[in-house]
Amino acid sequence: MSDTAIPSQTQSKATPKQTGLAIFSGRRGLKRREALLAYLFLSPAIIIIGLFGLFPLVFSAYQSTRAGLNNVVGRPDGLGQYVRAIDNLAYVLAFWLALFCLVVAIRNVNEIFATARAKEESPWRWLLPAFLSAAGLALMLWLIFTFMPGVLEIGEQLVGFTAEERNELFPQFLAEAWRAPGVSSTFYYALLAFFLSGLTYFLIQKNSKPTLRDGLYTGKWVTAVFLVILAGALIWLTFTEIQTAYAEALEEGESLAIWAQMVTISAGFVLLLLSWLVWRTAAHRDSNMQTFLRFFAAILLMVGGWVLISELPVVIAEGDEDWWISLRTTIFYVIGALPAELFFGLVLATMLYQEIKAKGLFRMIYFLPYITPAVGAAAVFKVLFSGNPTGTVNILLASLGLEPLRWLNEPSGVNQLIGQSLNFTVPEWAAGPSLALVVAIIFGIWKYTGYNVVFFLAGLGNISREYYEAASMDGAGRWAQFRHITLPLLSPITYFLTIFGIIGTFKAFNTIFVLRTGAALGTMDTASLVIFDAFNRDTRIGYAAALGIILLLVILSATALLDRFAKGRVFYG
Amino acid sequence: MANQAVPVTREPAKPVRSSFDWGKFFTYFILILGAVVAIVPFLATISISLMNLTEATSQTFIPSTPQWGNYIQAWQEADFSEFFFNSLQIALITVAGEVVFGVLAAYAFARMEFPGKNLLFGLFLATLTLPQAITWVPNFLTVSWLGKVTPLQWIDNWPALTIPFMASAFGIFLLRQFFQQIPDELWDSAQIDGAGHLRYLIQIVLPLSKAPVLILALFGFLGSWDSLAWPILVTRSLDWRPISFGLQSFLQEAGSFVHLQMAGAIITILPILVIYFFTQRQFIEAMTRSGLKG
Repeated sequence: MSDTAIPSQTQSKATPKQTGLAIFSGRRGLKRREALLAYLFLSPAIIIIGLFGLFPLVFSAYQSTRAGLNNVVGRPDGLGQYVRAIDNLAYVLAFWLALFCLVVAIRNVNEIFATARAKEESPWRWLLPAFLSAAGLALMLWLIFTFMPGVLEIGEQLVGFTAEERNELFPQFLAEAWRAPGVSSTFYYALLAFFLSGLTYFLIQKNSKPTLRDGLYTGKWVTAVFLVILAGALIWLTFTEIQTAYAEALEEGESLAIWAQMVTISAGFVLLLLSWLVWRTAAHRDSNMQTFLRFFAAILLMVGGWVLISELPVVIAEGDEDWWISLRTTIFYVIGALPAELFFGLVLATMLYQEIKAKGLFRMIYFLPYITPAVGAAAVFKVLFSGNPTGTVNILLASLGLEPLRWLNEPSGVNQLIGQSLNFTVPEWAAGPSLALVVAIIFGIWKYTGYNVVFFLAGLGNISREYYEAASMDGAGRWAQFRHITLPLLSPITYFLTIFGIIGTFKAFNTIFVLRTGAALGTMDTASLVIFDAFNRDTRIGYAAALGIILLLVILSATALLDRFAKGRVFYG
Repeated sequence: MANQAVPVTREPAKPVRSSFDWGKFFTYFILILGAVVAIVPFLATISISLMNLTEATSQTFIPSTPQWGNYIQAWQEADFSEFFFNSLQIALITVAGEVVFGVLAAYAFARMEFPGKNLLFGLFLATLTLPQAITWVPNFLTVSWLGKVTPLQWIDNWPALTIPFMASAFGIFLLRQFFQQIPDELWDSAQIDGAGHLRYLIQIVLPLSKAPVLILALFGFLGSWDSLAWPILVTRSLDWRPISFGLQSFLQEAGSFVHLQMAGAIITILPILVIYFFTQRQFIEAMTRSGLKG
């Protein structure tokens, strides 16, 4: 490492000796050398995070379009794995994802024109290089999809050879994979596109007036065009997939509801969306119009909701039941654990942020569960909440004169259990999370509250005392101060903790992997566990990849929804 | 819940307020309740781990005579020495990589100018939102492919267990925050003395950032010690299986030997707790200072 840095040092020292124009080029050279050194510093991180953090996204997408059991190079299967998981909803989702891409692209274009109008210039000239760049990017993405089967095959071909033979054979096989139809040509087209893009960009910049020389638009153009290409590809994929599925079903003589389902579900979503839009515009109208629009929105909402409620269960019943249940379980887990973690975290933090003895000790104790390895801590909870009458919590219940519960062995929903003790039957759909899952939720609250305490404490420390002094002079009580000063000023932290809490709970694996029991009948299996089982136990590689992608989409839409909700509610200073 | 407890007991006693501060009492009550909830599972575990079999499977809270032999028995029966050593090895290799690569990358982000800086940083941070579950399949395939193609054995060996985690976006972010706080004057004077980036990093920045580097190492150690899904996927023999796996399978094997299981849990937790007790001040400080400035 140090060897590489020394030449750049000596060179940078040498620059002052150059004179005239050379100083300028020397300074530029210095900049370039710094950039080079920075990339050198970053290279291990780029390789590792790129290969094991970012590339998996593309790799997953590729793998999810492949069939085959325990087979690295399965045959192409289009959306087949997704259909297995969520049935015809897969087509609807792909189509809507495409539409979403288009909407984002249109918004980008709008922004481009808004800036252009403000600066009174034309953004069109940068469209050509941007289009070429986006095309190059899309081709590179396509290259991964075409090159991957050959590359993965190399691994299989090399099995059984010695190390020397492998060193010799590897380049041969790689060259063979490279010569497969559509691989190298895609690469060269992509290179050509990038080259032309660079060239046109350079020419345009050079021929523009100096005030116009701004890369302000290019990035947005590239994104917009790339998204349009992506949307086009998705729509094409959806429709060819639907057509093949339709043809297959016709051959088998089944009556097929794909089109009807697509239309009804899409219509349901459109109606919900429209309802939301109408509701939003209603806010800006006069009172008569407002009432009418709100009424209209409510009708749209009801119709859309009814369409979805009548159609979605049919689709869900056709999909993978375990997967749907796991998604529901995950949502129960998030809803059960996250608000409580935030609430207790906030309460303890506000208490701790007073004149208190042994502040550090309390803080240390609260943080203890977070730092404890999850597997060990879950083992502890497994024993404490054991379904045996001799389990620690059951002994506690017994000493209070209560019946022992089956805790981690209890698959029935809590609402059902409560209903049983009150002697009425709760219907299946209202059963709620199983008692076993509730133990997992309690564990989550126990483990992550302290983490929130620490962050809330930091946030409280950032609030200026003056606000409270001013408020108490105006006669605000402690609750009013908390409600109108502390809560709003903590909202960025609450927002941060909520977003990361959602992501974290969706990720949760270790705890539930340890806590789950056979007797709980899979009522504790969150999405991560179903994916793990599909991969590790059933070796359904493509299917597990598809489930991973769906989970990512669920997380992204959950955080996006939260983002919408938080807009205007989060108060930054 | 405790909200009701206070007024119910002494509502009419308001005049005494000057001598006894009920607000303070309430605060301490809540704080101590929280602390008790946080700590009771640990105490229960220690208590159960010291019981004999009959006590562990009956309704007892505290062992009559502490059975310290449980720890030895659990250690031997679950083969913890093997798992313990494996985990230690995996964690140390991972942490070494994480610290070296993290320091280099964070320095580049904090102190150097290069094209694509923001894009790259954004991409790194984006990996924090990816669920683990989406990386299992592709990373497993990548790792097994690398094992077949390169002379290094990846699956069921240290590379598969450590290399994918040797650079963490979280660590780079944490260190960058600290590096950015180092005043520019230091860099200016270092430059006057003729120091380049690498020398400045090693001689000035690193000695100033012992605490964050320590924190990164601790978090890396904890993450590695706690990993379970990935090691199950990429190991086939016991040679490289970590302690979390050992504990998990011991939980299933030693079904009713609750006291031994708890001893095993304590053995797994203890190294982390010991480290935490010695470093908790820096630990918590770094946690709070790491994010959330913006």
